[in-house]
Amino acid sequence: MHKTYRLGRVDVPVLKGATLHVKPGEWVAILGPSGSGKSTLLHLLGDLDQPDADGGEVLFDGRSLASMSRRARNLYRNRSVGFVFQFYHLLPELNILENTLLPALVGLHRWEYYRRIGQLRQRATQLLESFGLGHRLKHRSRELSGGERQRVAIARALMNNPKVLLADEPTGNLDEATGAEILDLIVQQHRDGLTVVMVTHDPAIAERADRIVHLHDGRIAE
Amino acid sequence: MYHALLTNRYLTSRVIPLIAVAAVALCVALVIIVVSVMTGFLNMVRDSGRTLMGDVVISYPVTGIPHYERLIEQIEELPEAEAATPVVDSWGLLKMPYPDGANKDTETVQIWGIEPDSFAKVTGYTDTLYWRPPAEQQLKTMADDDPRRQMDEQVFLDGLTLHDSRSDRAGIVLGIHISIGNDRQSDGSIRPARNGYWWMPQWEVTLTTLPIATGGGLLEPESRIFPVVNEFFSGVFLIDDKRAMIPLEIAQRMLHLNEGEIVDEEQLDDDGLPKVIGVDPAKATMVLVRAAEGVEPDELREQLVGVYDAFRAQLLEDNNALVKPPPQGMGLSIKTWEQQQADFIEPIEKERELMRTLFSLVYLVCAGLVLAIFWAIVYEKTRDIGILRSIGASRFGISWIFLRYGLVIGIAGALVGVGLAYLVVRNINTIHSAMGDPPMWLAIIMLGLALVAIALTIYHGRRGALMPITLGLLVSMTLIGTGAVILVLKDRGGVVIWDPSVYYFTTIPNEMDTGTAIFTMIGAVIFSLIGAFLPAAKAADTDPVRALHYE
Repeated sequence: MHKTYRLGRVDVPVLKGATLHVKPGEWVAILGPSGSGKSTLLHLLGDLDQPDADGGEVLFDGRSLASMSRRARNLYRNRSVGFVFQFYHLLPELNILENTLLPALVGLHRWEYYRRIGQLRQRATQLLESFGLGHRLKHRSRELSGGERQRVAIARALMNNPKVLLADEPTGNLDEATGAEILDLIVQQHRDGLTVVMVTHDPAIAERADRIVHLHDGRIAE
Repeated sequence: MYHALLTNRYLTSRVIPLIAVAAVALCVALVIIVVSVMTGFLNMVRDSGRTLMGDVVISYPVTGIPHYERLIEQIEELPEAEAATPVVDSWGLLKMPYPDGANKDTETVQIWGIEPDSFAKVTGYTDTLYWRPPAEQQLKTMADDDPRRQMDEQVFLDGLTLHDSRSDRAGIVLGIHISIGNDRQSDGSIRPARNGYWWMPQWEVTLTTLPIATGGGLLEPESRIFPVVNEFFSGVFLIDDKRAMIPLEIAQRMLHLNEGEIVDEEQLDDDGLPKVIGVDPAKATMVLVRAAEGVEPDELREQLVGVYDAFRAQLLEDNNALVKPPPQGMGLSIKTWEQQQADFIEPIEKERELMRTLFSLVYLVCAGLVLAIFWAIVYEKTRDIGILRSIGASRFGISWIFLRYGLVIGIAGALVGVGLAYLVVRNINTIHSAMGDPPMWLAIIMLGLALVAIALTIYHGRRGALMPITLGLLVSMTLIGTGAVILVLKDRGGVVIWDPSVYYFTTIPNEMDTGTAIFTMIGAVIFSLIGAFLPAAKAADTDPVRALHYE
């Protein structure tokens, strides 16, 4: 895939023909220095951004994202992939239960809401409980530590049972011990069959993955 | 369903939306208050017209309509007419009983000679008589020291009949604002000055009229002393300040409009006096007519045009009647009360429409405010938009959050605005009285609060942070300013915005105009939505990747 950003009048190529194939159930770590295009690659995989025109395509289960309707792509982001960001990105106005429920609410029609809300609430609560946050359901994110916030973010990403977890430096903002806890959580989910694509610049963290790919100068090197 | 959750949280977790609601509410309240007062004013003008002169007025000023009794008989035969009454309308000088010395004040007054019985049937005269024992309902709201609590029923009856039962003489009923001894209170009631000393129904006045000869020249002035039997309060300042009622036949005599003999000076009778050749009938300058239930004034007017023509035709053929009624158009007019007041009503109607149009610009302010506030909110929420997009929210879904937000702010603002307008309009006279006589305690409270604000500013600003100092100074200066304005107003005797001599009525209309309220609410909601459109579109267009990196 190719991706070029325009900074003022200058075109800055970030991805210059990066190709990546991820098998179902695999954990791939994308390792590279900052500015190498790791996050951009992840955004393209998660349909937050699109490759350049004639700059390649993202295939999911053999289907090109570019060929899908807008609605189908929204559904792809909502159900098929889950994002975890370095800076957690929780909504400050919502408590952690609501933050976790959010992807389910986004994908829910009004008429389904009343029928399913109880069941969904139960699922979110179970997820948070399994992540050790059962006692903080009504807390706002600002009342939580960095590690706790990232656990909420992972719970949110997993809420709709996605096939793929896209994690962008999930431990980048945490101390070593907390980072290790978060990685353990991801390992556990991976063991349960979740496909993980994780971006990191830390080789020690990348070691935990099944496969490491290096992104260098906009190209992938295994 | 996440829209409802987010709208709700965005609304309740910060101050900005409250400011937006307050801004919309103030805009809505402003429009409703202004238009309600104008509409109320217009309605008062219309109602008062009917109360004071019935539905249709046949008038022939100065010279008067001869044989008016016959005209009234014919009018009352009409099924469209409920009742008719003759009136003699002229001007006179009234010598008042005050001051105490020999040099009494004289007022110019409009004299209405009326037949009390029929006059009360055509107009709302009975209800306008002010001095009367209060009804049960009135007792609850009436001040304890209101002199009407001790009023004798006879005063009311004397006012109704224009007859002084004590001295068995014809009496006069004055407009309540003719006497400067009547002090209006803040609740709208009247207290005669000097503890009731200048209560007019215990005094006499001298009325002088200037009768005009048939040829147009002035005759000798006529004077007569009248006991004041009651006073009337129509609410129309111009009338209450000028008009005095006396019995019709006395008015006719004083203005030389009573029945007289017509003599031929060329011929002499047996006693050597000019020979009487006929009768000059009594005249009335106006005939007021009230329409029967369900009959429109215009409908009645059309009938009256026909009746008058028939009445005139009969008299033209009657050789015994030497004085003939004038034709229509030659100074004689038949008009509905609305036409009679047209010169007055039309400008007010135009003024109201102008106000409505000008104040509708407030809607644009509404839309602008919502737009500015939402723009700021969308800016602040950029990262949230990125997050929502990353978990699958559609562009429409994102814009709907903000449209919905605008809708809620519009509806909340409109409801609060209507409530606020209702409170202000209902209590507008009390507020106005308070402005005319600002309460001292309010000034003291304001200045007291200012001291507290200064103390808090010093306490919170001791570390040199600018925010608490600026905020504290702003609040304390506002409080000091408000207190100072109250003190200055107090010193200058308050402000009177609603001057009855300018606005004709002694009280400000206090009914909320429901139609305007509904339209203004709908307008505010629509314009709030319009204001939210642009920020919502901006939110929908936000690039999720940039939004996620937005700090």
